[in-house]
Amino acid sequence: MKYPEKCFAFILLAAIAALSLRLPQLDARPMHGDEAVNALRFAELLQKGSYRYDPDEYHGPTLNYLTLLPARFTSARSLSDINELTLRIVPVFFAVLLILLLLMLADGLGQAAAIIAAVLTAVSPAFVFYSRYYIHEMLLVCFTFGAIASAYRYTRNRNFNWAILTGVFLGLMHATKETSVIAFASMLPALLLTLLMMRRTGASVSDTLKKIKPSHLIATIAAAVIVSALLYSSFFKNPHGILDSAASYATYFNRGFGNSVHNHPWYYYLKLLIYSGSPQGPLWSEGLIVFLAAVGFIAALTKKGIAGVNIHLLRFIAFYTAVMTILYSAIPYKTPWCMLSFLHGLILLAAIGAVVLTKLASNVLPRLIICLILIVAGLHLTFQACRAAYTYSADPVNPYVYAHSTADVVTIAGRLEQIARIHPDARNMHIQVICPADDYWPLPWYLRGFTNVGYFRHVDINVPPAPVIIVSANLEDALAEKLYELPPGGRNLYVPLFDRYMQLRPGVYLQTYTTKDLLDTFQHHQP
Amino acid sequence: MQSIRFSSRMKIYAVLLLVFVLFVPSCKKTSPQSSPDKAKSSNSNAQTATPGTPPSGLVPIPIELPNPMFVGTPQDFKVSNLEKPLGKPRPPFLAPPGTENAAFLKTVAATDDVPIIGEIEMITDGDKQATDGSYVELGPFLQSVTIDFQADYDIYAVLLWHYHQQARVYYDVIVQLADDPDFITNVRTLFNNDSDNSSGLGIGSDMHYVETAEGKLIDAKGARARYVRLYSNGNSSNELNHYIEVEVFGKPAK
Repeated sequence: MKYPEKCFAFILLAAIAALSLRLPQLDARPMHGDEAVNALRFAELLQKGSYRYDPDEYHGPTLNYLTLLPARFTSARSLSDINELTLRIVPVFFAVLLILLLLMLADGLGQAAAIIAAVLTAVSPAFVFYSRYYIHEMLLVCFTFGAIASAYRYTRNRNFNWAILTGVFLGLMHATKETSVIAFASMLPALLLTLLMMRRTGASVSDTLKKIKPSHLIATIAAAVIVSALLYSSFFKNPHGILDSAASYATYFNRGFGNSVHNHPWYYYLKLLIYSGSPQGPLWSEGLIVFLAAVGFIAALTKKGIAGVNIHLLRFIAFYTAVMTILYSAIPYKTPWCMLSFLHGLILLAAIGAVVLTKLASNVLPRLIICLILIVAGLHLTFQACRAAYTYSADPVNPYVYAHSTADVVTIAGRLEQIARIHPDARNMHIQVICPADDYWPLPWYLRGFTNVGYFRHVDINVPPAPVIIVSANLEDALAEKLYELPPGGRNLYVPLFDRYMQLRPGVYLQTYTTKDLLDTFQHHQP
Repeated sequence: MQSIRFSSRMKIYAVLLLVFVLFVPSCKKTSPQSSPDKAKSSNSNAQTATPGTPPSGLVPIPIELPNPMFVGTPQDFKVSNLEKPLGKPRPPFLAPPGTENAAFLKTVAATDDVPIIGEIEMITDGDKQATDGSYVELGPFLQSVTIDFQADYDIYAVLLWHYHQQARVYYDVIVQLADDPDFITNVRTLFNNDSDNSSGLGIGSDMHYVETAEGKLIDAKGARARYVRLYSNGNSSNELNHYIEVEVFGKPAK
């Protein structure tokens, strides 16, 4: 694999730019409920050394196992030793790796397109925002691209190592998230369509396929199966995890097509990318990427305006992206981070589109104007990325903020830390969290430093009330009845800790009560 | 032109690093030196409350605290001016004796003549279930339904259910009374949560609310009318409009 030094330097610069956009204030945004769930599931692995795949929720094991690296690096041994940085550095790492992997495709996409793809990946607001999220998506996108890039390299020199690496990436994809099946389902028709187009140009499909050595194909499949099985079985501690990984598809299929609170219309993702806005906030658009991707798609199919590239690779990416976009749009269940899988394909096509557009202009001046427009549009993407990742990182006006915790959860945890300092039991202080349907996340993350926290779905009259009670507004009356109306007497007076309702997420209200004695003591100690 | 080569040695190193990363955790043993505090901080174990120093002769009550339960991605609500949940069943709404549901089985007209799902008549058929077969789905954008009581009524309350199978917020919910089917004469607005006048019917000061099985009860304060019209403009899950049931409580005007 050879590529010019300039291409290497530019892609490296893009990776550095990506890092500088993703790394600052990594702990500033409040933890999303999903991040907190992932964090506590990782803590089980960290503390007990064991992991058990759950086919109903929480996706595959790669995120958990790979988080061990930064945890070990920071000598973390328990949940209280880890912080947001320990966790979120993992997706940041794979976001940067995703850019560096473009080096493997530079000769296929063309150097200019590879560089543009690197820049667009680095500055895409969706990519920047979700690179800082402790969820599985960035890993899935990176492993998927790794599989495509390795397979492409294999087609160049039939080297056994690339066949193995392709298998490893395929296995990692499968072990990351159940939605990897959508990527597999997109790759297959994309491959077939690419081969069909090859035949139309006179190339022999059978000759092409014959170049793949059966032993290499077996090695690829074996590598994928071994990696996936190792991870799902928790390195053979839980062999049933392998069967569970297969059984999970029934669950996810039902969820994907069933009646869910995450069901959105087919155009949800495209609308999110092309135009989002609300009266309370700014307008958002990654329409540049969608527009350029459309140009790139047409160019890949017609082969017009492109030279010095591997047209079969381009066509594969075009078909793969189109099929994946259709599949994700067709599935009713939609969460915004899922779109990263096909958005990456759109970015690759957009890079082709940008090159085609600049080459369309025959003279220097029009070409310069097009370049200038693309640069300004790219800067606008960067501006939006900064706004998404920092200014509006947890604000509902940000289209990528989805079911996100408010800063109130940090305020609650901060106040409880202050109270613990004056409580005789300190962090052993008894706290109760009462929310219907276990809807209290990410509070378990923020209360991880407290050793006596009980979580309840409803008000249990048999449980003695704790000195601090965090209760959903829906259960406030039931709590009041327990505290004041039910026998026996001689009870504490409870008062709200805050002068307003706090919000777990927008529209999900919490009230925090403390005993009056405790609040008086706390206020007495305030300067 | 100079070039850089991705050596096969680098590839081997990369594969070795990957294998190392994957296998290291399987070799992990629980450290016997782990402090009890740290072990306790795991939310995967049941925890025991340890109150402050007890008076002599007394021992702490061993309270078993439940661990947090893992849940999936919560629902997204991007709705401004959202009403806080009541936290308890709605208190009884009081009206004069003889008050009845004036809308029951009465004629309904809709801006969407051909609903995507269901029939317009389902809006006043008395079926308040949220299951399939009990609701009508109208098209996107601003849609309205108009119920003709076939006589003047003194209206005390309007109770409506858009769709309560999942928590949703419907936008631009506007409820009006009038004396004529075209809503020209004596139009009175009982409820309006259109905060940006996207309906073109004026800005309302009422709050958005989450659909529940209790339905939304709107006080009509005894206003006399023959027609009620209800508007909506999509919801927090999609751009369509739904109705399960509309009940209008009133007494025939004398």
